[in-house]
Amino acid sequence: MPRRHPVRGVPQRAKDKRRDNPGDAFRCVGCRLDVPFHAPGTAHRNHCPNCLTSLHVDGRIPGDRRARCRGRMVALSLSVRPDGEWMIIHSCLACDELSANRVAGDDNALVLLRMALRPFGARLPQRALLAL
Amino acid sequence: MTIKNPYLSMDTFTCVRCGLVVSRQAPEGRPRNHCPSCLHSQHTADTDCQSRMIPISIAVLRNGDWMLIHRCTRCDELTSNPISGDDNQLILVRMAVRPLAQPPFPLEAFGDL
Ligand SMILES: [Zn+2]
Ligand SMILES: [Zn+2]
Ligand SMILES: [Zn+2]
Ligand SMILES: [Zn+2]
Repeated sequence: MPRRHPVRGVPQRAKDKRRDNPGDAFRCVGCRLDVPFHAPGTAHRNHCPNCLTSLHVDGRIPGDRRARCRGRMVALSLSVRPDGEWMIIHSCLACDELSANRVAGDDNALVLLRMALRPFGARLPQRALLAL
Repeated sequence: MTIKNPYLSMDTFTCVRCGLVVSRQAPEGRPRNHCPSCLHSQHTADTDCQSRMIPISIAVLRNGDWMLIHRCTRCDELTSNPISGDDNQLILVRMAVRPLAQPPFPLEAFGDL
């Protein structure tokens, strides 16, 4: 899916060199997809690009890997930063902790869009919303 | 010397952003912690932080109810709270629509959702 405005601001940096180990992928706890840690336009990937599920391994700072929880984190909602970038709010099913994570360049656009439409349910015609 | 009315301070709080004096009980009878006018809150749950929390997202429960996600301006902690019947509808809807108004990909490709 082409991006209307490519990710702006400071380029993301991979903070954890251990992720460069052979077998440079993780298996998604949501959809079992094998996900490479590295993808174009994406550093320290922390959620599955297919179903957006994540694992509770980070503390306050994305990439710090300071959480012991290891619970499954599901994509709960979207937030838009002042600079226009979409953030995914993840919610841990084990401990209820919330975290905000940047959308990656290869995240499933249809899943993202469904999440953006979620607040409106059947209350508004989706066609009207998409015409915004 | 100011005499604090213990009943007043127990039943109300003053919004840290707009100064509105807000009843701690929402119209639904539930306790609430954000201002119904500007939707800002204060970081008081399980912490000494006390800083201002800004509304950043609308989450939807399985039953369709909207929850308001706040982020603390000092420590970045995120919290989730139910909305109330007297919450500012304009700000709520604006926040809910915002991702669609600023999509990272062209929405036209999904015309037949
Ligand atoms: Zn997945
Ligand atoms: Zn957790
Ligand atoms: Zn207020
Ligand atoms: Zn705080």
